[in-house]
Amino acid sequence: MNLKSNLEKIVGSEFVKDDYETLNKYSSDQSFVKPSKPDIVIFPHNVEQIQKVVKLANQNNTPIIPYSSGLNLHGATIPQQGGIILNLSRMDKIIEINEKDWFVIIESGVTYQQLQDSLLPKGLRLMVPFGIPPKRSVLSSYLERDPVMAAASFEYGNYLQMDMEIVLPDGELFRTGCWNLGGRPGGYYGPGVNMPFRFWTGAQGTLGIITKIIISIQHLSPVRKYFFLCFDNLEAVIEPLRKIQMKEIGWECFGLNRFNLTALLTDDWKVPESFPTTKIASSKFDKLLKSLPAWTVAIGLTGSTNFPEEKVAYEEEALRQICKDVGLELLESLPDHSETNQIFLEESLRSWGILKKFCYKGSVHDLSFKVPLDKLPSMERLMLKLAKEGNYSQGDIGGYFLILERGRGVHIEFDLHCNLKDKQERKNVEELWNKSSQYLLEEGALYDRPYGIWSELTYKKASNYHHKIKQLKDEFDPKGIMNPGKIYI
Amino acid sequence: MDAKKKVAPKYLSPEIYQSLEDIVGKEYITQDRAILETYSKFSIDISGYLKKHAKDPSNIPACVVLPSTTEEIQAIVRLANKHKVPFVPFTNGQLGIANYPTKPLPTICIHFSRMNKILEINTKNMSAKIQPYVDYGQLQADAMKVGLWNGGTPLSTSLCKISSQTALAGLYQTSMKYGTLGKNIVSLKMVLPDGEILKTGSISVDSVDDFWEYAPGPDIYGLFRGCAGTLGIITELTTKLHPWAGEKELPEPPAGRPSIHTYREDKYDHAPPPKLHRLYWAEYNDIDSEIKALREVAHSGIGIGLNAAGIYNSYYCSTTQEQTIKRTKENFFPPYNFYVICTGITSHKQLDYADKVINKIIKETGGTLLSKDHKPDVLKVLSTWNLDCIRHVCGYRMSRYSYLDTWFCSGVPAVGNDAQEIWSEAINTIGETYITDRGGVDTTPFLYASDPCGRNFFTEADVYPNPMDPQSLQQAQQLMMFSIGRTIAKKIGPGVTAFGASFEPLTSFFPEIGPNFHLFMRKLRKVFDPNGVCSPGRQIFTKEELLAVPPPLVEAINQLRQMNGLDTIDISKME
Repeated sequence: MNLKSNLEKIVGSEFVKDDYETLNKYSSDQSFVKPSKPDIVIFPHNVEQIQKVVKLANQNNTPIIPYSSGLNLHGATIPQQGGIILNLSRMDKIIEINEKDWFVIIESGVTYQQLQDSLLPKGLRLMVPFGIPPKRSVLSSYLERDPVMAAASFEYGNYLQMDMEIVLPDGELFRTGCWNLGGRPGGYYGPGVNMPFRFWTGAQGTLGIITKIIISIQHLSPVRKYFFLCFDNLEAVIEPLRKIQMKEIGWECFGLNRFNLTALLTDDWKVPESFPTTKIASSKFDKLLKSLPAWTVAIGLTGSTNFPEEKVAYEEEALRQICKDVGLELLESLPDHSETNQIFLEESLRSWGILKKFCYKGSVHDLSFKVPLDKLPSMERLMLKLAKEGNYSQGDIGGYFLILERGRGVHIEFDLHCNLKDKQERKNVEELWNKSSQYLLEEGALYDRPYGIWSELTYKKASNYHHKIKQLKDEFDPKGIMNPGKIYI
Repeated sequence: MDAKKKVAPKYLSPEIYQSLEDIVGKEYITQDRAILETYSKFSIDISGYLKKHAKDPSNIPACVVLPSTTEEIQAIVRLANKHKVPFVPFTNGQLGIANYPTKPLPTICIHFSRMNKILEINTKNMSAKIQPYVDYGQLQADAMKVGLWNGGTPLSTSLCKISSQTALAGLYQTSMKYGTLGKNIVSLKMVLPDGEILKTGSISVDSVDDFWEYAPGPDIYGLFRGCAGTLGIITELTTKLHPWAGEKELPEPPAGRPSIHTYREDKYDHAPPPKLHRLYWAEYNDIDSEIKALREVAHSGIGIGLNAAGIYNSYYCSTTQEQTIKRTKENFFPPYNFYVICTGITSHKQLDYADKVINKIIKETGGTLLSKDHKPDVLKVLSTWNLDCIRHVCGYRMSRYSYLDTWFCSGVPAVGNDAQEIWSEAINTIGETYITDRGGVDTTPFLYASDPCGRNFFTEADVYPNPMDPQSLQQAQQLMMFSIGRTIAKKIGPGVTAFGASFEPLTSFFPEIGPNFHLFMRKLRKVFDPNGVCSPGRQIFTKEELLAVPPPLVEAINQLRQMNGLDTIDISKME
């Protein structure tokens, strides 16, 4: 019996596809990662089916690529050695919303929009990364350590993942956290080694298939407020933000450069359904671009379950005092844009508005990394210099930074825009992206999610660490079937 | 048994001993029997005490070496691998060499007492780079001077070493906000069991600064956390620091106060809380209302710590054993109580806000706050916590009687009900070894919030057997095992592994955990410790070691399994 008929037997023939169009669809995403077709695409419906598929793949030495929503956009699900695409989109159940102890149990295919829409009417909220596609799988996004907008808050923006259910590379079932006995969930500790769940994070599906995850959710306060600070350059950003963070004010603290803020405010662009999308000219974008500051920092204050106005009030007072001390004007909305506060309040729950930026050229190639906060200005200077050398318009670089853990670090995303249909433009942007990846690394950028060429570049400088994760990979996945071609090159 | 028989350790060959001496220098190695004795007693290890009674030499190391650098540790580990000699990392000595040693003696004990320096406090990245023998008190004293702190100290004592707690525990009274130590590690530099060096976090990449806890791709640090020293030796560690609202100095000696029960000074025992800190104590009539209130407080977002201390108060806040027993018997402390630690990091108005929220929640949940109008005498006695909730300096003078083991469990707040049920059953079935064993039976079980919104509470029950009485020790062991068995059978929390530690023979004999967690651990050991020399037998057996477990032990564990409705284990058929 061949692979296809075996798979049909496991998941049903209507959930096995190997037609040209389907295989082609899964061969690439909008990134520069080299396209490669799978042999087959299947849509399992439950954990037992997945276990059977994994055991079958082990017998046949067939690669398996876990695929939740396909919206990683960095090539993580491109089947570099062919094999089975395990499309988990049918496993889209929100198994439990625990309103008493504030967590959700979800399957792999549950999307941000789906989950947030289910939570908000209950007065609860999911913490979301900025610029996440609404149909992106929450599970794979959390697993890939997409930093949420509240990452500045040590307690509300980090360690939001609790327990997990995993199909290991040998097909056996495993659970982490309080859930490991199959009883009641309740925290990431255990089994045994205290935080084993971290092993599967940032792994791009190379160490198993996570079938269920338990995630912390938060109270949706009726009182939330955004404030804005405008800057001509990033050098001026550091000390004020450090002072604000040392007072632990607010949950969210992030910056958008002129390009990105303009894209967010441009109302004749819509959030694309798929990526890449079609380039759309916008006169509003061009006009707006000239009116906004070089960098705008947004700070989000959030009330709590009791006396929410009073909580926001004491934080606002402290924020105003710091701004007064350092001579900064604290704005409740941007000049001539009274709608900004409302837009940011909405974005902090449904954060996909910024994806309108894809309309500028059709595709966006981000350089996303982390550095200590002090390095933020120098990384921008380097990026601008490289853009100039690469004949890429400096004004076309999208910029976003997110404060991590009260200023311990900063997550940065520089976007390069590209019309992929224009071959010369694609070549130029790809070269710049590759070169920038290398130079930023040399300057101290941490690509903690090593997609595409970042893997090779980064691990050249982390040979001991790479050697050890490769040994672990070989031990847990001796036949190397889980998403081969990633990370352990 | 000959009571006067001297127990002799098995010594290293002269050649190996000489090689070790060449590495660390003559003055930093010893095999003096009197000194070795001090390295064979472990603070909370019942089986270690039983071995003493049985005159079993397996807890006595062959020698003690005191390296001063990563390179020296690496050389020691390589030598151990070359000669297939086991070694154990040692800081304060909480754990025995191994409950069930699987390698022939002798064992090299590597003590890190010379590696006690704070290498750097980085105010911008809010972190401290330290050597393995740096303790919490030392770190806090230095960090507070620059307006930072590490987020807490363990409930035992601030003399605990952060490196060994990284490998095992690290639960604070302030874990509601800051999490356990596991959440507070930026990076580790380790000598692995095979002698290789590994760095975790952002410094795993040569060109990157020491600021972020995740290395590129899959995270190895998560595997080290809780490994109990079996996956490597931490030689440098960078821990997170956080904004500190209090004074630059706390009124206490940095190395902890004298361990003398008559030594009391108001400046320690009844000191006010640090600047911009407040403690609130609440009492309840029953556990259900208490748990409801704990959940509400955790959800409200106020405070940095939220804990139900239960019977702990009796021995923690008392001067003598007599006073401990009297207060326990008389329920001097409210049977169902908890405390909230609040701070004003943002401003003093944050404290005013917290005050308003606490009063509202306590009132709505049927509790009463201790105050000058309600049980002021109890509140005065409890004021010992005012400083110790931040830096636990009084652990060594706690009037507790030979505390020897803890049963941990964790989960959502309802785990408090489970803990009370299981521990009551254990005490009622097996009996108490000492009056304070009853903590959690007639009173609140210990409950420590370890998550910002109270999704996870650690709960525990402790035993206090007479260490001089083997029967008392065995009874304490039975209490532990009974509770562990019940926890696993009832599928409560992470079972035996609640705190991140798993020890043999529990790892291999409860395949329900994970499931088959023992196979996961075995793979880790194979990758990290191919020669099986790093604390062998402590955390996971190989298949061969499992098959060599003595039949009486197998039988005892199977009886425990049966008692809890679990199938018996046939080790010959186990993977």
